[in-house]
Amino acid sequence: MRRPGDDPVSPATVASRIDIRATTPTRSPDANPGSRAADWLDRQAGTIFIAPAVTVVLLFSIFPLLASAWLSLTRFSLQAGGYELSFVGALNYRKLIAGSQQFHLLGTAGEMAAGTWVALVAAHALLAWALLRSLRRRQAYAQAAPRAPQAATAVLTLACGLVAALLSPLGPFAAAAQSARDALDLPWFAWLLIAFAVLVVAAVAARALGAPARISGLVGRQLAGSVWLLVALVAAGTAGGQQGSLLTTLFYVVGGVALQFALGLGLALLCAQPIRGRNLFRLSFFLPLMVTPVGIAYMFRMLADMGVGPFAPVARLLGLGAVTWAQNAWSARWVVLAGDTWQWVPFIFIVLLAAIEGQPRDQLEAAQLDGAPSWRIFRDITWPAIAPTAAAVVLIRLIEAFKIVDLPNVLTNGGPGIATESMTLHAFIDWRSLNLGGSAAVAYLLLLVSTLMAVSFFHFVVRPARGEPAA
Amino acid sequence: MKRWFEPRRLGELAPLPRALVHGALLAWTFVVFFPLYWVLVTSFKEPLQVADGPVFLPFVDFQPSLHAWKYILVETGRDTLRPYLNSMLIASLSTLLAVAIGSMAAYALTRIVYRPSVAAVLLFIASVAAVVALVLGAGLSLGWALPLGAMLFVLGLRPLQRRITARLGNDDILFWMISQRILPPVVSAIPVYVMFQQVHLLDTQFALIVTYMTANLPIVVWLMVDFFDGIPRELEESAALDGASRFRILFDLMLPLARPGLVATTLLVLILSWNEYLLALFLSTANAQTMPLLVAAQNATRGPQWWTMSVLILLMIVPVVVMTLFLQKFIARGLLTGAVKG
Amino acid sequence: MTTPHSVTFDHLGKRFGAVEVLRDFNLQVAPGEFLVLLGESGSGKSTALRVFAGLETASAGRILIGERDVTNVLPKNRDIAMVFQSYALYPHKTVAENVAYPLDVRGVPKPRQHEQVLAVAKQVQLDGLLDRYPRQLSGGQRQRVALARAMVRRPSVFLMDEPLSNLDAKLRGHMRAELKHLQQQLDITTLYVTHDQVEAMTLAHRVALLDKGVLQQLDTPARIYNDPANLFVAGFIGSPPMNFLRGALSGGWLEGTGFRVPTPVTASAADAVLGIRPEDCRIAGPGEPQGGAVQGEIYAVELIGDHTLVTLHIGEHKLTVKGAKDFDQAIGRRVGVAFDPGAAFVFDGATGARMR
Repeated sequence: MRRPGDDPVSPATVASRIDIRATTPTRSPDANPGSRAADWLDRQAGTIFIAPAVTVVLLFSIFPLLASAWLSLTRFSLQAGGYELSFVGALNYRKLIAGSQQFHLLGTAGEMAAGTWVALVAAHALLAWALLRSLRRRQAYAQAAPRAPQAATAVLTLACGLVAALLSPLGPFAAAAQSARDALDLPWFAWLLIAFAVLVVAAVAARALGAPARISGLVGRQLAGSVWLLVALVAAGTAGGQQGSLLTTLFYVVGGVALQFALGLGLALLCAQPIRGRNLFRLSFFLPLMVTPVGIAYMFRMLADMGVGPFAPVARLLGLGAVTWAQNAWSARWVVLAGDTWQWVPFIFIVLLAAIEGQPRDQLEAAQLDGAPSWRIFRDITWPAIAPTAAAVVLIRLIEAFKIVDLPNVLTNGGPGIATESMTLHAFIDWRSLNLGGSAAVAYLLLLVSTLMAVSFFHFVVRPARGEPAA
Repeated sequence: MKRWFEPRRLGELAPLPRALVHGALLAWTFVVFFPLYWVLVTSFKEPLQVADGPVFLPFVDFQPSLHAWKYILVETGRDTLRPYLNSMLIASLSTLLAVAIGSMAAYALTRIVYRPSVAAVLLFIASVAAVVALVLGAGLSLGWALPLGAMLFVLGLRPLQRRITARLGNDDILFWMISQRILPPVVSAIPVYVMFQQVHLLDTQFALIVTYMTANLPIVVWLMVDFFDGIPRELEESAALDGASRFRILFDLMLPLARPGLVATTLLVLILSWNEYLLALFLSTANAQTMPLLVAAQNATRGPQWWTMSVLILLMIVPVVVMTLFLQKFIARGLLTGAVKG
Repeated sequence: MTTPHSVTFDHLGKRFGAVEVLRDFNLQVAPGEFLVLLGESGSGKSTALRVFAGLETASAGRILIGERDVTNVLPKNRDIAMVFQSYALYPHKTVAENVAYPLDVRGVPKPRQHEQVLAVAKQVQLDGLLDRYPRQLSGGQRQRVALARAMVRRPSVFLMDEPLSNLDAKLRGHMRAELKHLQQQLDITTLYVTHDQVEAMTLAHRVALLDKGVLQQLDTPARIYNDPANLFVAGFIGSPPMNFLRGALSGGWLEGTGFRVPTPVTASAADAVLGIRPEDCRIAGPGEPQGGAVQGEIYAVELIGDHTLVTLHIGEHKLTVKGAKDFDQAIGRRVGVAFDPGAAFVFDGATGARMR
């Protein structure tokens, strides 16, 4: 995808850009003034083409974005004659992360069971493994086993763990971290700077130990890793208690997209097989995308009604008549996830099916001639061929999944309690109760989380899938 | 035994795998169709039939009635027609505008070199931030704040450009536009609400058209950039040599060539606008009510009116299905050559 | 090294829907032979190869490798290897992994894989490139990787589908020689598909020329050139192509508008075609009597280097003659063309069959 302005400039590249100046006469003495105006208009074409889009985006995106940022730093209150916005600094954010609203965003702390500890350790191990993989390089054929940068990885993982433990408002180390923070009475942003400094030091140390990546790349990896561990700590801390909208949103996003991808890929592989009626299946699988999300929400509410819905007889048979799914936090979340999955699997299915059908035929035939069984053909040829497409579609789906609001709103009204509230719903509910500042703060935190995840995913999954090495 | 597992020839499935594949696909077809079937059947039920417990087959389990359909289409016909027309109008106009503006910008980004200066961008953001602070913080009216912000930009541009000479490129502009999609609508919903309220345009179709257009512009740009990238430059070069202006090249040459992509993009944006709920929730109440709002409104205080809701859901699906069947061969081909190559 | 196998196509037919691409195709390939399937696009040569590979199923007939009927056997069990036109290299695997793939799939232990890959790489001069990825290789190098992958298994039959067509002319010439040498060294029966007659003539032990799904002639390159079986073969082989004159045949003479030439055939036919190769024609010199078998008007003169191609108008026909490199007569001049009737071929005008 070569675009104007790409380096390096070779004669071929230069020749392929249209030089409108060379083809438009600058001065035509015999032409009438109308054509001179036309020439001027043509030269301004670049600006004219892009101006409307830029203006629209600036007006309706940048301006509200900044206004919302300001709002998140204020407190809204109704007064006698109208309303008042008073500047309160980071109060809204502090309330959400460590104050009176912490239960709403992050959750309430609970007992840490043995299983939770295991999961926490596993999260650290997963991070170490991911760091190791991203730092390894392919070695020459049949040489001795590669010298993996294990020491560097250990340093990086430790640094991430330290930062996460230091900053996490919930979780097993929260109390200890809080007393440490109280001991040195520093403002909150100082702690962020300290954490960043720790990461940079660790990056330098890792590089000294032989990690084959740039310092900025190492810091970037650590940032992503620290956020991952932070979330893990918060999740572990609230595992025994109640989860807040952040964790619920992450459940919808990660769990939902993973499930949708698995189903979409499976269906696409099945539909790519030489069977009769493929086109019919393909068409009918597209149907859910055409139903309005609000409609899907109500449709699933109808279906999930265990009193008068179609599954009521089944529920009665299984003796679940008295228990409703809507009263249990996790069953409610799974129902929301089910609705979201039903709606979005077709999108992933369609894209992956086309990618699978577009894979190079000759490689397939060569592998078949070589005698590879179907699972090997999938692993060695199909999967690498569709990896860039799959990564792109998962990225699109991740970005959209963060905005989920229709389903939890309609299906359960965010309940039981706040169990199924996504962050968008959380912001909406705050807005309805006229807590504009808090609502904007939640919205901004959502923006932060989704941007972090989108950028990390892009860097560490999409780019390697396309064959571009990570920094 | 081996007969069941080994295919007879290449390009075929063995009998057992073939049965399993069919089974799995049929199972998912059931999963897809059953909820829709349920909606269809419910739309023909009376309130009592719904409350009594689930019944599945018309004419067998229960007597279908047109009660809900009559209610929606005849008795409250006008209340149904207005949101339906609103939805149609808002969806089509916002799509048209988004595709028009977005395609122009996408074409420009693939063919013309832009080099906005970093200084200008930073200063612009600073000026807007200053305006916001003045209006919301210091309570100045927009009439004072805007000129002050403009002055800040104009005065600061030259000096800052001399200090910061870095420039951005097409890829940065593209990334900026596409990343708008990451923005959750709820972040900008409140200020947009306030904005429209100030100019007394709340609850109008115009507000929704403009807002939907903005929300979908990134998608159009994203998809169309990939399409235009795929069109060889030689065609435009030969037209330029023949004397065609950039406008003629775009309208006479590029848009017809990108037609499959345009169709797919238009369809996608149309579906998104048609189904949009959150923005309509924030920005409209009665006059500019759209169909998704009407569907949600069936959740009355007496409990959800499943039968009328089902009718409305079906009414909402029909135009989309019709449109999609019409243009279905473009969908997969168009969406995919464009959307996910880059 | 295993003994080479023979290959038999037995009344093979293949149709795609209503289109019949191969019709009653019969061919016997001797063990260790390099057989080239030559023809235009759409002649059925690639189809024949693909049916043989098992990538398509035969509509009629049988395929045998040695004595074994493999018509209904899956490709992986036919013990064949194929070099694709586009090489079909796996882009995310290194050269070594690409070459080792057939062995890996069959569960050969890694040390033995390593051994065999190195041996084959040395044979095709790839040993310095084993860690590269296909995208880092030139066209010629990729072609050699594809070749190595086919060779590593020592199959019974090699299949090659226009493997040289993606290379530039100079490299093509070099690789032709390499391929010929390799095949002779390995002594594996090879089926080679191409549309380039130079490749066919230089590489093949025998050439099978196809047109529209029907085998036109199966013979050694020399005999195909010197003894074409029909009009199609005569016109396809040879560069510049054979000259054809159409007319009525009687009593050893072919007569048409503007010419009357002697022929080696005594039969009679109302519609016949005489073919004579450019190198067998001679422009009658200025001193020779201007009678000559044919009179024509010079249409074009092209200096090739070591000879000149002179094209003449004779009646409604055009005739190309290989002249001396110092040929200097002007366009438009009338000259005579002489040839030895014994070197000419006569074909039936309606069927194209060779008349003797």
